[in-house]
Amino acid sequence: MKAPILAPLSLFWYLSVQHIRNFSIIAHIDHGKSTLADRIIQRCGGLSDREMEAQVLDSMDIERERGITIKAQTAALQYKARDGKIYNLNLIDTPGHVDFSYEVSRSLSACEGALLVVDASQGVEAQTVANCYTAIELGVEVVPVLNKMDLPQADPDGARQEVEEVIGIDATDAIPCSAKTGMGVEDILEAVIARIPAPRGKLDAPLKALIIDSWFDNYVGVVMLVRVVDGSLKAKDKIKLMSTGTVHLCEQVGVFTPKSLPRPELRAGEVGFIISGIKELQAAKVGDTVTLVDRPATEALPGFKEIKSQVFAGLYPVESNQYDSLRDALEKLQLNDASLHYEPEVSQALGFGFRCGFLGLLHMEIVQERLEREFDQDLITTAPTVVYEVLMRDGSVVQVENPAKLPDSQKAEEIREPIITTKIFVPQDYLGAVIMLCESKRGSQVNMAYHGRQVQLTYDMPMAEVVMDFFDKLKSVSRGYASLDYEFKEYRAADVVKLDVLINTEKVDALSLIVHRANAPYRGRELASKMRELIPRQMYDVAIQAAIGSTIVARENVKAMRKDVLAKCYGGDISRKKKLLEKQKAGKKRMKQVGSVEIPQEAFLAVLRVGGK
Amino acid sequence: MIPIVAVPPVPQKGFPSVTSTFLSVPLSLYVHWPWCVRKCPYCDFNSHESVPQEATYLDALIADLEAALPLIWGRPIISIFIGGGTPSLMSGATVDALLAALRMRLPLLPEAEITLEANPGTVEAARFAAYRDAGVNRLSLGIQSFADAKLAALGRIHSGDEAQRAIEIAQKHFERVNLDLMYALPEQTLPEAQRDLATAIATGVSHLSAYHLTLEPNTPFHHAPPPLPDDDLAADMQDMVEETLATAGYQHYETSAFAKPRQQCQHNLNYWGFGDYLGIGAGAHSKLSDHTGIRREARPRHPKDYLADPVTRQWQPVTTEDLPGEFMMNALRLTDGVPLAWFSERTGLPLSAIEKSALAGRQEGLLEVVDNRLRPTPQGRRFLNRLITLFLDA
Repeated sequence: MKAPILAPLSLFWYLSVQHIRNFSIIAHIDHGKSTLADRIIQRCGGLSDREMEAQVLDSMDIERERGITIKAQTAALQYKARDGKIYNLNLIDTPGHVDFSYEVSRSLSACEGALLVVDASQGVEAQTVANCYTAIELGVEVVPVLNKMDLPQADPDGARQEVEEVIGIDATDAIPCSAKTGMGVEDILEAVIARIPAPRGKLDAPLKALIIDSWFDNYVGVVMLVRVVDGSLKAKDKIKLMSTGTVHLCEQVGVFTPKSLPRPELRAGEVGFIISGIKELQAAKVGDTVTLVDRPATEALPGFKEIKSQVFAGLYPVESNQYDSLRDALEKLQLNDASLHYEPEVSQALGFGFRCGFLGLLHMEIVQERLEREFDQDLITTAPTVVYEVLMRDGSVVQVENPAKLPDSQKAEEIREPIITTKIFVPQDYLGAVIMLCESKRGSQVNMAYHGRQVQLTYDMPMAEVVMDFFDKLKSVSRGYASLDYEFKEYRAADVVKLDVLINTEKVDALSLIVHRANAPYRGRELASKMRELIPRQMYDVAIQAAIGSTIVARENVKAMRKDVLAKCYGGDISRKKKLLEKQKAGKKRMKQVGSVEIPQEAFLAVLRVGGK
Repeated sequence: MIPIVAVPPVPQKGFPSVTSTFLSVPLSLYVHWPWCVRKCPYCDFNSHESVPQEATYLDALIADLEAALPLIWGRPIISIFIGGGTPSLMSGATVDALLAALRMRLPLLPEAEITLEANPGTVEAARFAAYRDAGVNRLSLGIQSFADAKLAALGRIHSGDEAQRAIEIAQKHFERVNLDLMYALPEQTLPEAQRDLATAIATGVSHLSAYHLTLEPNTPFHHAPPPLPDDDLAADMQDMVEETLATAGYQHYETSAFAKPRQQCQHNLNYWGFGDYLGIGAGAHSKLSDHTGIRREARPRHPKDYLADPVTRQWQPVTTEDLPGEFMMNALRLTDGVPLAWFSERTGLPLSAIEKSALAGRQEGLLEVVDNRLRPTPQGRRFLNRLITLFLDA
């Protein structure tokens, strides 16, 4: 075969690119992605054992030393293969949850191959399947790996069969391994070299680099992880982000090993980082294309999407004087989470707070937990809601992200709700229960396919129903065996109404919900009854009512506490008794005073807990 | 009467000073006896089942008192309370020797109330006469219930009949007798609680303490709770107790204390009035005011440690932040509250220190000021914990 005629630099590139493999790992949570990634990094000498530990336990110190945040599972590795040649393997991390499917697709599109890690003792899960389909659609070579072979209940033949039936790829050569013991790791690396193609692309074409991930680093600002598809990039180049057209000066390029290592240049086929003094994470959007100002690409890489918030909820400080502190915390959090959106909002019941937009329910839970743990915020979170579209009589369309703001039915022509297509994987034994659940959530079946012992159900469902408590219920009816993936389908007209909650006859705006008219009375009863459980007895009776418009659909009463007093207190008791009362006072601090009633934080999310026996 | 001299206090930084008034703060003496024949599963007091060392302990108490004398020099003692444990395990001779030793070292007011806590068992009742002769003038009997099944559930070692006989003997020797009763006992019904109370009233004693059984931390009942009446039934029982005792002529003067006219326990009134007290004996606590401020002291808890060194004491000042809460935890237990002036006199703090909290309490209908007395409203007495938390610095 004739070698193409190339300039010396390009020739060198052409030869070296043959030794690059870009791949990621597709795995269900708990199926061992992190452990396998760590093993691979270790085998390739990316980190010594001691550093491995340091990376996990002491990443703050490493950050300080290196100046750049390390993402543990993104690594440029060198591997000396059995053929004696040294290969550059780029392992690219993918996020692990259904809320982040867009990010997953961007990570995968930066790769030529992906390891599909399946727990040999548990088989395939829906999320793995969804990501795997994404990979196949993107033309990524999928190499199945059977992990956890060290477990006695490992069933490699069953798992192989399932991969073939469910995903539809040949699993004859699936590699057995154990990330825990290290067994099979070298076989995996050999398969990466043999089965995953080297990158294609043109070094002499205008620069096109895909932003796989971006994050904020306290020392250098925004760090962009990119896959260079065409062209090359070096420090001092003027770069342009194609979705917005903003121009920045490239300050540094390099790779992660996973330690950050500056390089003079990033070239087609390579994966590495760009630092260019960007201060706001929103400016470096995942999926965007980086090009050069001097010689721009004519069109961006395909697949870029502006990610929109799917779920909204109000976040309020328990103590109203903590508003500023909450705003600061959200600001800091957003530095590292471009998909978090928030804007100030005022609730009659809760005072000043924020309406926040999330990718999904899990994303909301992560944000809530980080605010509480990392930023020490005491929060009231209102029930999550999806975005409704309201067609007004005057022809305008209004987006409603807060149930309290649903326009009066007199003024609305039509209310539309988002519909999602969900794919559920469930073992046959639980199929009936899952179908019943989907039907009860106003789902309509699109498809049902049997794959061995697994069934793949496809349902179109109102997103609002899924957001509420679907995950928990799905887990519960399938004993944890069902898994789920979803994507937005369309907006559809729906007969929904606003369900209000009144405490001592006062409407509490933060407790309003939008529900389907047919379910509204039932929802109202469930909600009121759950609230009765969650609101502790107080000095006076507390009346809880659920109402649609002016019609009361449910009524519950929290009977007044009869007494709250210590039976004994004499000289020697004082310090112990005082501790008891101080504890009581601290408990009260975590409640929100609405009128004369103290409502605990969890009561605002009562709607998520209804029906959970 | 408790003497009060109202002198405006001088607010200072750090710990409050009660220089101008501390000599007028009444002073009581508490003596702790740390042994019981058997420890009850609901009890969180400092009591031990080991064999009492009566003679050695008496020596230790005297050494303890002598070491503490400089802290209370010249101040009269308005009351003595010998509590425990089970102080009625002491012989009459020991109590006699104890009170003689106290009289020799302390200016005891002639009319001082001297209470001893006694278990209503047969052995103890035989000693009541000797206690009277020693100078004890008030006896407090730990009856709890007259129902044998309830007494067994509470781990008590006396029977209902024994209790009845002990009360008779006590009343033969003492004009002032208190009965400790408990309600909301394991599996107790309202009629059962009524029967216990009626039996107690029929004895005609001058003082009754009726406690809602509480599961205290670090007790067997707390670890393995017995089947108790629910909150509503327990509250019904309390209503019944209060109504029945009012009808029978007992004044409800503190959360759990009821007395015939002028029969209130002076010793406990001094606790609740935020008075001073010196505590001697294992685990005994003191609260003492002097020109440097207010201090709390504690003796070693375990009898073995106490006997080894009865004179070294742990102490710490009560901080300005802690004082309002501690004052209110006591004062607001009293149905009639306390004179407003006592707050400044007995804490050294200006009234402005509690203004905000007191207003909040009034706003919630829990607190009122009537005739220059600060007192809980009926609602405040029911929700005393809530009222007190308004004054806690937490």
